[in-house]
Amino acid sequence: MQIKQFMLFVLSLALLEVTSLASDLKDKMSFGINTYNDNADVQVYSPTFALYKKLSSQWLLGVKMRIDAVTAASIKNGSNATHVDAVTAASAKESVADDVRYAPTAMLTYDDGDNLVTFGSYYSTENDYTGVAAFASYVRQLNQQNTALGVSASQSFDKWSPVFKRALPKDNRNETKIDFSANQLITPEFSMSAVYSYMYSEGFLSSPYHFILQDSLAKFENYPDKRTGHAFALKGVYLLDKDDSVNFSYRYYMDDWDIKSHTSSVEFMRDFTHDFTSGLRLRYYTQTGSNFVKPVGTYGVSDQYFAVDYRMSAFDSYTIGVPFIYRMKGGDKLTASIDYYKTSSNEYLKNWYDVGSLQSVFTTLTYEFAY
Amino acid sequence: MVKYILIGSLLFLTACSDKLVRVMPYEKEYFAQDKMSLSPIAERAEQEGHVYLIREASAGGESAFQGGCGCR
Repeated sequence: MQIKQFMLFVLSLALLEVTSLASDLKDKMSFGINTYNDNADVQVYSPTFALYKKLSSQWLLGVKMRIDAVTAASIKNGSNATHVDAVTAASAKESVADDVRYAPTAMLTYDDGDNLVTFGSYYSTENDYTGVAAFASYVRQLNQQNTALGVSASQSFDKWSPVFKRALPKDNRNETKIDFSANQLITPEFSMSAVYSYMYSEGFLSSPYHFILQDSLAKFENYPDKRTGHAFALKGVYLLDKDDSVNFSYRYYMDDWDIKSHTSSVEFMRDFTHDFTSGLRLRYYTQTGSNFVKPVGTYGVSDQYFAVDYRMSAFDSYTIGVPFIYRMKGGDKLTASIDYYKTSSNEYLKNWYDVGSLQSVFTTLTYEFAY
Repeated sequence: MVKYILIGSLLFLTACSDKLVRVMPYEKEYFAQDKMSLSPIAERAEQEGHVYLIREASAGGESAFQGGCGCR
């Protein structure tokens, strides 16, 4: 039965080839650099490159490359040695060190105007971690392209290789993600989109380096080896007037570690000239703690799970950012963005990073052109 | 709960297709503009998706793929 279904799927792809509807595929290339800096001594500089080449009127081959150059990656140890402390970054060497992550992605896209199919694979390698993944997506346009229904799936097979010898209970981290999306044009000035995501992870899900040191207790961080999460998001974009628009989104997330979160964002965009668009974006995020995290300094030898990562505790975060889009002659485009991110303070952040709250600035700069 | 919301949304969007043709092709000029995109800058969406994946415990809600890394 499965072979039959697979053959029907392959046949359906072949049939897609003989249709001759319009598609938006075009040869294009982009270069860029992204940066990330925070007050926990992490700086990341990421050159990016993307190349898209039409193979035919309906097929497009894409190759993307991202390099993360991490400098000053060692993170300050907590200052209070009687509690949770001595945490190093997952990918960092001792002292001030560099780590470089290479992450190429290859994808093949079919687009006939009504059907959009994408297959791809991803690989990344760094000092202590290797990521391998495959992904696919399908989007179907309906109702004279007023409605778009989509489904996408990805499966990763990642592997830990800690920089110091430590026998992990498992060295893999496999993640499955399935998304269902629906987009609807409501009026000529308003569209809405809904997305549901199912996520399942299994393997070694904590950091191999984080550990707890308190009184007579010394333990490596240990999480459950399975996690199932669900996310539901609603997004919309609305034209306020000829030059102004607003896009907004809300996401609810929940998982079986009892982490629940709400994320909302709003962004105003304005065409200042025919060629230049900018705006302002605000984002608010709040999450609950996991069901196994405990207050700093209260773990006992009988505990099954240990968490020192602040992400397992309750906190909020805020982002404010400004985007820039400059359209040039011939369809070339220069885009940039700068965002400031700040978390609320909690005891884990204080003990790990010796900072009241995590504050970071991340930027993008990309030049895209057709060829 | 999430399952029912999803099923309800899909039924709503697919069951009454005629009523969902609300924007004719000649009325779509605004949707071709950068400011009318849900993610006006694709590179920023990818970058921030990575940052939030590293700095927060939630994920999902978008169809984009984010590859794994040791910093998570």
